Amino acid sequence: MTVKALYDYEFPSADRAEVFGDDQLVYVHWRGNPLFCSAACFRVPKNMPFAEFVTSMLHGWAASDPDFDPASVTDWRLFDEQLSGGQDKSLADLGIGHKALLSFAA
Amino acid sequence: MSTGTLRQVAIDLQESEENRALIEAIKDDNPELTLRHLPGLVKVQAAGRIVINRESVENRLGREWETGEFQLAIVSYTGNFSEWDDDRIIVSWEH
Amino acid sequence: MSVPTKKAASKPARKLPLKERYALLTRDLDWEPGYVDREQLFPHTRYEGIKIHDWDGWQDPFRLTVDAYYKYQVEKDKRLYAVLDGFAQSQGHLSLSDASYLNAIKLFIQGVTPLEYAAHRHFAYLARHLEGPAPRFAALCQSVDELRHCQTQIHTISNYNKYYGGFHSWSKMHDRVWYLSVPKSLFDDAMTAGPFEFLISISFSFEYLLTNLLFVPFMSGASFNGDMPTMSFGFSAQSDESRHMTLGLEAIKFLLEQDEGNVPIIQDWIDKWFWRAYRMSALVAGMMDYMLPKPVMSWREAFELYFEEQMLGGLFPDLEYYGIQPPRHVNDAIAEKDHLSHQVYKILHNFSFAAAFTTKTPDEAHMAWLAEQYPDSFDQVYRPVWEKHRKIEADGGRVFFQGLPQLCQVCQVPMAFTEPGNSAQISFRRSTFRDETFHTCSDGCQWIFEREPEKYVQAWLPVHQIYRGNCGGPTVPDVLAWYGIQEGDNGEYTGSPDQLAWAAWHSDGDDKAV
Repeated sequence: MTVKALYDYEFPSADRAEVFGDDQLVYVHWRGNPLFCSAACFRVPKNMPFAEFVTSMLHGWAASDPDFDPASVTDWRLFDEQLSGGQDKSLADLGIGHKALLSFAA
Repeated sequence: MSTGTLRQVAIDLQESEENRALIEAIKDDNPELTLRHLPGLVKVQAAGRIVINRESVENRLGREWETGEFQLAIVSYTGNFSEWDDDRIIVSWEH
Repeated sequence: MSVPTKKAASKPARKLPLKERYALLTRDLDWEPGYVDREQLFPHTRYEGIKIHDWDGWQDPFRLTVDAYYKYQVEKDKRLYAVLDGFAQSQGHLSLSDASYLNAIKLFIQGVTPLEYAAHRHFAYLARHLEGPAPRFAALCQSVDELRHCQTQIHTISNYNKYYGGFHSWSKMHDRVWYLSVPKSLFDDAMTAGPFEFLISISFSFEYLLTNLLFVPFMSGASFNGDMPTMSFGFSAQSDESRHMTLGLEAIKFLLEQDEGNVPIIQDWIDKWFWRAYRMSALVAGMMDYMLPKPVMSWREAFELYFEEQMLGGLFPDLEYYGIQPPRHVNDAIAEKDHLSHQVYKILHNFSFAAAFTTKTPDEAHMAWLAEQYPDSFDQVYRPVWEKHRKIEADGGRVFFQGLPQLCQVCQVPMAFTEPGNSAQISFRRSTFRDETFHTCSDGCQWIFEREPEKYVQAWLPVHQIYRGNCGGPTVPDVLAWYGIQEGDNGEYTGSPDQLAWAAWHSDGDDKAV
């Protein structure tokens, strides 16, 4: 179904990938931790290595919970699938695209 | 149009000095009415319908009263204004 | 014009009966266009697919005429302003239950008052564009009402702005701040729809289905917490609201009676707008259960009374006659009534460092009330988390979300809602449109997105806008400055300027410093 309008209804998406250039948006959800109301959203370079993403972005956010132990982070998933591939690979190489949802347990 | 079913209709009224006579008049004319008090308001509820008669309100108030003045008293309602003329207001369900 | 209490000595000439007066003053003033055709005069009433055969089928049970309208509105304003004056002159703000109560009022002026103004604008549009004189006049009265609501709310709440934080800049905030994009985007969505969809969205789904649930317990809460001015503007506005509800109900019945082909279109709009309005009302749920120092009625109880009992039990059986079913996804709303307020207040508590109000972890007495109101969920799911917060705070900490949340593309609330029937699992829904991923918080929001993706891909999502560099800068202070939030408006209530001032004013019974 399309929008009913008196004219051709054609507008670009506000947050399409090209708007962010070499960066992209990525969401991260800490499964089973109700101290955080929702997943977090980050803007990161597409070619950032996954390990660097975890230490530079994720750790600061997750440390809002004083019980957070960086060593305990495990079981990464990309949407509903197990995330496979080495942590030294970039987000793009791991198939983590614009507005992808990652999640982990700790 | 049917005379209304037995589903509940309700009117929420401001609980104020001016509205006391009105609420009394509604109680007089709707014997099945239940009242619930919440801070600042009174919820009157009845099965099927609630009627407000100008004459009953005037008797309680001791002055003339227009049905339009009901707009100053009402906070909310559930149902349908199936009748609103110079002499009475009826809230009921239609179908 | 005579005021009823001043009875003239000689009997005045008998006024015309209400029905005749109404006919003369509304329908009789209409005319047929002579030098343009109707389609040129009313260009917006055909493209939505709604068919109207006889605009005179529209009934206004109030039979409101312009003289009666202004007579009663003047009286309502007089009564309200008497309360406002008395409250201001007697330093009434000092007799509130607690300064933290005002967080609810901050949310109100930032989130709701600008909607009144938006409604004023759009009903003025309907008063021009609907084809029948009866609905045009009803829309005109509502447009004037909504402007009155906006003004009386500003007047009422401005008194608090003299003594408390967070009450300034609300208009700017409404256009910019993350949690206010929830109500703003809902109204933008409705105002960019056609005139008939607007009637179903705002007049029916919002005003008739949900307004009781939103405003009546809220105003009772004001009364219970010593806020007589808010109670008074609330009830004064609600008395207009009963007319607006009537317009909503008349609109839907009129559209359904006009043409059978209208029924599926209307059903579709009810399905969409029930969920849109319900999702926005989640903010009120959090407010009712957590922000009132003296809570009056839980969200759950209000939902059962005003929605399940009165709407599902009363209204929808009436609409079944026309072939209308209860809204799609209504069972998801029922399923989450034990959870909604807790999840929403959690969002506000996590993010109040970036809000123009403060939050606090509920104390033991408040948690006992919540446990009583929510016997199936509070102690099991939410108490342990609040206790963790209390422990962290006892050690000198305060958990804030050090980052930005993932938002729903449709309702724009952070994605905090859980699966119906599983409060341990956040509900994630994903759609793809033009090779782009879009996230929604529920089956309801996903269904709305997929119905009109071309519309929702344009959403101004505050989190993404910050990352795009459109909100004052990359740091939290940059963004707060751009939002118009000042130091002390935000964060934790305990130790906030409001709390300290309140404690000082009440420390030794000496209020002279005020």
